[in-house]
Amino acid sequence: MLVLVLGDLHIPHRCASLPAKFKKLLVPGRIHHILCTGNLCTKETYDYLKTLANDVHIVRGEFDENLSYPEQKVVTVGQFRIGLSHGHQVVPRGDPEALALIQRQLDVDILISGHTYKFEAYEHGNKFYINPGSATGAFNPLDVNVIPSFVLMDIQSTTVVTYVYQLIGDEVKVERIEYKKI
Amino acid sequence: MYPWNSTSYSPSGGGGVSSRSGERRMTMPSGLDDQEKLLAEAIGTARKQAFQMNHFLDKDRILDALKCASTMLSELRTSMLSPKSYYELYMAITDELCHLELYLSEKSNKETDFYELVQYSHTIVPRLYLLITVGIVYIKKDSTLKRSILKDLVEMCRGVQHPLRGLFLRNYLLQCTRNILPDVLMAENEHEGNILDAIEFVLTNFAEMNKLWVRMQHQGHSSEKSRREKEREELKILVGTNLVRLSQLESATLAHYQRSILPGILEQVVSCRDAIAQEYLMECIIQVFPDEFHLQTLDPFLKSCAQLETGVNVKNIIISLIDRLAAYNQRSGKTSGTDIESIIPPEVELFEVFSIQVANIVQKRIDMPLEDTISLQIALLSLAQKVYPDRIDYVDKVLGTTTQILESLEMNNISHFLSVNQELSRLLRICIDFYNNALTVIQLKNFTPLLDKFDYISRKSLALYLVMNILEFETLIPTAEQAEHVLTIIAPLIKDEEAPLGPDGKPVSPPANGNNVDPEEFGEEQGIVARFIHYMKADEPDMQYKILQTARKHLGAGGSQRIKHVLPPLIFAAYQLAYKYRAISEEDENWDKKCQKILQYCHSTIAAIAKADMADLALRLYLQGALVIDEIGYSNHETVAYEFMTQAFSLYEDEISDSKAQLAAIMLIMSTFEQMSCFSEENAEPLRTNCALAASKLLKKPDQCRGVVACAALFWSGKKNASEMRDEKRTLECLKKGARIIAHCLDVGVQVQLYVELLNHYLFYFERGNSLITVAMLNQLIAKINEDLPNLEPTEETKQIEMHYKNTLAHIKSRMESNDAGLEVSFAGISIN
Repeated sequence: MLVLVLGDLHIPHRCASLPAKFKKLLVPGRIHHILCTGNLCTKETYDYLKTLANDVHIVRGEFDENLSYPEQKVVTVGQFRIGLSHGHQVVPRGDPEALALIQRQLDVDILISGHTYKFEAYEHGNKFYINPGSATGAFNPLDVNVIPSFVLMDIQSTTVVTYVYQLIGDEVKVERIEYKKI
Repeated sequence: MYPWNSTSYSPSGGGGVSSRSGERRMTMPSGLDDQEKLLAEAIGTARKQAFQMNHFLDKDRILDALKCASTMLSELRTSMLSPKSYYELYMAITDELCHLELYLSEKSNKETDFYELVQYSHTIVPRLYLLITVGIVYIKKDSTLKRSILKDLVEMCRGVQHPLRGLFLRNYLLQCTRNILPDVLMAENEHEGNILDAIEFVLTNFAEMNKLWVRMQHQGHSSEKSRREKEREELKILVGTNLVRLSQLESATLAHYQRSILPGILEQVVSCRDAIAQEYLMECIIQVFPDEFHLQTLDPFLKSCAQLETGVNVKNIIISLIDRLAAYNQRSGKTSGTDIESIIPPEVELFEVFSIQVANIVQKRIDMPLEDTISLQIALLSLAQKVYPDRIDYVDKVLGTTTQILESLEMNNISHFLSVNQELSRLLRICIDFYNNALTVIQLKNFTPLLDKFDYISRKSLALYLVMNILEFETLIPTAEQAEHVLTIIAPLIKDEEAPLGPDGKPVSPPANGNNVDPEEFGEEQGIVARFIHYMKADEPDMQYKILQTARKHLGAGGSQRIKHVLPPLIFAAYQLAYKYRAISEEDENWDKKCQKILQYCHSTIAAIAKADMADLALRLYLQGALVIDEIGYSNHETVAYEFMTQAFSLYEDEISDSKAQLAAIMLIMSTFEQMSCFSEENAEPLRTNCALAASKLLKKPDQCRGVVACAALFWSGKKNASEMRDEKRTLECLKKGARIIAHCLDVGVQVQLYVELLNHYLFYFERGNSLITVAMLNQLIAKINEDLPNLEPTEETKQIEMHYKNTLAHIKSRMESNDAGLEVSFAGISIN
């Protein structure tokens, strides 16, 4: 089961579009679910995601036009409960322990959040945390040189294999990280 | 005698024929049968005579054979057959004539003068077929007769003036002489003739055939016009073959073509005054003669185009010629690197000639629809682009001419409903598509004037087309001047239509604004403009600043509906620019002042967004700005950052009233403030206090509780003199205040939920080492939850609270069991049972 995880695109506020190299990778029909951490910001981007997969879950980033996206969401994929939150509500920003508060509240195996514009995937207290970074490498005040990135999760029964795609310079680099549910 | 000589079948019988043909039209199947029957009969008779003829030839009875041949050929005198059937009969009979020709070639050494003899055949059609057959034999025997016999034959054929019969007879002449035309520049014996005779022969034949073909149009009843035109269509190839033959003359040079061939053809084409013939023959000329010839004869050819009949589609003829020459250029042009070198000789000023002649045609053919005139301009444009890809001035000239044409017709505000609008739009789109570079498009001086001739809706759709092109080809617009130009072209996307001014100088009707546009479509369109803004980008920071100012001037005028889409990208671009200046602070001593200017720019731009009733968005943009300023740290940054924060606060207080939006906003303000380290205590304290105050004044108790608890972070990880405050007392006060607010909630479920959340926050600061938080406090909270939780109704929410609580306790347990020496505090003593 392939799950695309991405967020903080900020089109058209901060970027004109997804990097062309990413668009080439993201072909319709291969991805089963999309989990988006928000800040799309407009309907056009949502429509684009819809062309990639039918099952699209979005939580609200602070710059989303659409007010009906929820603040948090739990999606079950295979044997995993996956929590989704943009992360701008987390103080201090991106703090693992502060994120753990949300993990406990949502009672999830994997917590996905964004807002830091930096890819991260780590285990903390036997739970798995993923931050897909910004798919467009959108500008943010705390980090001028953002590397565009997104994550693809391959979920097979109790294992998640995470592939992170990063556009470094003009090349797409892929890394693989595995997480097993206990 | 011959059956068709009886009155009932005779063409002079008039009524009989036309009534029969009328009948044929009404009942097609029987009509077809009729044709088949007539054709079968005619072929049958011809075969019989052919058989006889061959029989006599075998016996060397040449006179009897000729008589049979004449009788056989008499079948071709019929008027009853359709062109198609007549053609079949013609083929059958001319096949048989070959035998006669063969025989004569072998045996004509006798003294008998067949050329004279066959002239005694008593009807003209057989006589001329025989004359041609014999004439060819004579020429083959003695080439010195060539010139005179050819001349004689082509003249004698005038004797048949019935169109169908005449056309086929002359076709026979043309086919038979195919290989014996004097295709040489200079003959050994002048009586053999030379190329000039060959040209004259074919030209004469062509002229006569064309006259016959044109005459068909004027025979018979007007109600049969369409059938006649169909028949003519079937026969046109016979006429065209003459031109093919001319093009096959190998000795014919360009000079011959210029001096005799083309003038001869054109003279006939123009003077026949028949639209069908003209259209077909002009097309024929283009297709059969080589491109090298066309290139040298553009003037006469195009001049003739101007003289053609009203019904002729001159546009198609010219487009066809242009396409051919352009294809020729691309086909045969030498490829050097990526550029195709033109092989059009430099002395042929292809574009100028076409340009002048097209103008001439437009002027002379006043009946030509405007769409066609525009189509001609499009053809010119594609000529310029295909043959002279570098000559932007040519393209520009076409646009200029088009604009002048519209001006001379006083056409303004051309409606998108008009078909001419579509052609005009195509013209401009071709320009955009050809270069795929907006920077080249703006070099076309006449682009904008032409664009101004359109109505608002068309201008907008063209503007969108240009913007989409920029996005697709990622065209960067690197100077303010160019940005100005592009923004002017796409003005219809940026601004509402300006009301047309009435005679009194006041607007006559309300402009068609965003109100009658589908909001979704409008949003999408503005989103595209917003994306485009990122392509106005200069490497040089000072230029980038000028671009931003230019863009601001244009985009700020779009009204509140547009502002929310198009101004945020400008603000983010400006923030980025500020970072750029900081990066070059060592090279540019004025970077400090420039940053100040940029932030002023952002400040006023955000104010414009706020004014457009977009308080939520404006607030977030101010907060982003505050973070930017905090990071950049130029000399005046604290003051400006404070200003940005207070602007965010006043928007929060004055403009945001929805309780959910309030909670979201104050949380954002607090999380932003928590990250900032630029404030001195003098500025930090009022901001901190204001956050706490605002949180405690939220409408709903649960919101109040969460807000106040979140405030704890300001006193803990919030900055004081650039390092974390760690104010244990005030952090704990926030948590305690949260607990007091929970007590005021009536709903026990909500209470428990909030207690669990609060417990987590207590734990968070406990772990972080806030020594004022004691195990006893934690136990007190746990006890409270343990007391209330079992009493809740077993709903979905309760289940969630239980899970949350369970996870919290599991977390405490794991901490208690942990041997991690890095933990600052001891979890011992927390009762989790």
